[in-house]
Amino acid sequence: MTETISATPPLGAPPDRDTLLEVRDLRTYFRVLDGTVPAVDGVSFSVGRGKTIGIVGESGSGKSVTALTIMRLLDIPPAEIGAESEVWFDGREILRIPLNVMRKVRGKDMAMIFQEPLTSLNPVFTIGEQIAEQVRLHLKTSGREATDRSIEALRLVGIPSPESRIKQFPHEMSGGMRQRVMIAMALSCEPKLIIADEPTTALDVTIQAQILELLKAIQQRTGSALMLITHDLGVVAEMVDHVVVMYAGQVVEQGTVEEVLLDPRAPYTMGLLESIPSVEKRGGRLSVIKGVVPSPFNLPPACRFEPRCPYAWDLCHEEAPPLSRVGSADRLARCHLHTSAGDSRRGAALQQHIDAMRVGGTIRDAPA
Amino acid sequence: MTKYIIRRMIQAIPVLFGITIVVYGILLAAPGGPTAKFNQNPRITEEIKEKFKKAWGLDQPIPVQYCRWMGFCNPENVGLQVFIGETGWPNFLPTPISGATNGVLHGDFGFSISSGELVNTRIVRAALPTLILAGVALFVWLVVAILMGVYAAIHRYSLFDQAATVFAYVGFAMPTFWLGIMLIFLFSGPGLNILPAGGMTETRLSPPFGSDEYWVYFGQKPLEALSDVGWHLILPVFTLVVVNIAGDSRFVRASMLEALNQDYVRTAKAKGLPGRTVTFKHALRNAMLPVVTNIGLEIPFLFTGAIVTETIFSWPGIGRLTIAATNQFDYPVLMGVLLISATLVVLANLLADVAYAVIDPRIKF
Repeated sequence: MTETISATPPLGAPPDRDTLLEVRDLRTYFRVLDGTVPAVDGVSFSVGRGKTIGIVGESGSGKSVTALTIMRLLDIPPAEIGAESEVWFDGREILRIPLNVMRKVRGKDMAMIFQEPLTSLNPVFTIGEQIAEQVRLHLKTSGREATDRSIEALRLVGIPSPESRIKQFPHEMSGGMRQRVMIAMALSCEPKLIIADEPTTALDVTIQAQILELLKAIQQRTGSALMLITHDLGVVAEMVDHVVVMYAGQVVEQGTVEEVLLDPRAPYTMGLLESIPSVEKRGGRLSVIKGVVPSPFNLPPACRFEPRCPYAWDLCHEEAPPLSRVGSADRLARCHLHTSAGDSRRGAALQQHIDAMRVGGTIRDAPA
Repeated sequence: MTKYIIRRMIQAIPVLFGITIVVYGILLAAPGGPTAKFNQNPRITEEIKEKFKKAWGLDQPIPVQYCRWMGFCNPENVGLQVFIGETGWPNFLPTPISGATNGVLHGDFGFSISSGELVNTRIVRAALPTLILAGVALFVWLVVAILMGVYAAIHRYSLFDQAATVFAYVGFAMPTFWLGIMLIFLFSGPGLNILPAGGMTETRLSPPFGSDEYWVYFGQKPLEALSDVGWHLILPVFTLVVVNIAGDSRFVRASMLEALNQDYVRTAKAKGLPGRTVTFKHALRNAMLPVVTNIGLEIPFLFTGAIVTETIFSWPGIGRLTIAATNQFDYPVLMGVLLISATLVVLANLLADVAYAVIDPRIKF
């Protein structure tokens, strides 16, 4: 069972009132037979009230573990949370509150939508019951009111004739419908933050677009903040205000969506953008980032992206690059190109990326 | 669902019919025969044996014996008329139409050779003690197995889990007859002597269970009568359920572990539900799906398979009746018991399938 982290060093100051979620130096380890594996290694970011943040990265980069740590859904052990880590949500630190207090936050103020709508709903209960259960628990309403609210939530996510749908079981619905049910469940108690962990990955493309539209519309209507975890940069461009790019458990770049997508500074982000297929680039070979995300058991000694990085040089193998400012206070990138050591190489590297994105004389328009 | 149940009931008819033939055949094939018990008795001559055979209809051809036992034939008639009942309708039809009252089809299992009573009377008399024993055992078995399995799954690899594992191995490997005797030795032997070694009631205090005097006594002192039976239940119930608990607690644990790792359990936690609700509502309900099938198939053996336990603890139930009938070459009783057991197995199968559909909405008939 999950417990609060044991050591309690003095907490930092709470973030200002406009900040809904602030993650500070989040470290999540998994204790395994061979020792301890860092899955999330010093991640910090914040989400303003009503804002949308995108967490981007390949599989295995620690995005989902970050979300599950914030929700306190990881079992401790085998998971372990660094003593220096802090997560501030709505004015209080939530990694250290008792689990029974955290349960009042979960589902009510902070709701999560999972990747697999097919398996994330309980097969033996009607969807109405699964939504109403949460409403009864958090809003202390009567059974009738909870049912009405469930119907309302289903109507909000565009499920036709919700009055009869609440009596259906998950297996009687399609994947897209089930993800709508998951979303209805998440928003049934009007949460301040919705964490969506790859909400469209398991769905086919036409449904993906509908679900994203829905999330956007609901967010505008309810004013909740959205933390969208995805590996799809197209989704990011459509949906989010602020982007955090993660690689091997670390933040490698963050900034506003325009900054990160139009002017990427970390070679990893550049690689991700270059590998998006586009109509303009038709004919040529699709560029890819060579290699795979390193196993957390066997991380490269310094920069974690160095073995796959086209711009790496000796220093990258010797010293881990810090997350450095590359513009405004929120604009960060983790690369030696942006430390003093990389000054001489920076211009050429950025130009190389621009050339890679330029096909047939046009820079591919990043959707904004 | 109703349609499915009716269909299954109809399907059960040929199965049960087949069972009657098999049961009849097996008992015919067994060495001895109803007259075997006279072999050791020097005063019984061949002549007397022939009379006995004639009186019980054992001189008839085997198909005729079977047909009479089943109620296809009317023992009063001869020739082709045997298939005709008193009213002129075929003999196998229900009593109001055919007028026939003989045979299994009309609810008549014949007479017990050893006691001369109706087989029905003997079975009904033995059924209540067995129902009491099996009912209590079933309750203890299910509650303990499920709680043990769930707790072991939640606290996987804990001390409790490991102790439960050891118990499961030992309990599953424990022969019932040996366990029963050891329990009597431990708790009823000269050392402790705290529990009764057998029987259903304290014979010095109450009349024999099931007799008219007993019910009078029961009416007068219900609490004492109940606690007396309860006291006598402890050892047999324990003996009976150890194997089942050992097996099913493992099964529940495995099923529960699988359920606890499912995405919907994470969803339930993410909804902020308390741990109890997550475990006992969301996970357990799913974990019970395979368990229900298993338990449904095991239940009939509680009612019929308590032979060893009932014999060890002199429990006056169906199991002991079976052993007694076997020892006394009491074929009608034996066939009655076996046929009822087979019917129970068929019914339990049906019940398990229906229960499965009730708790798993994905299953439709």
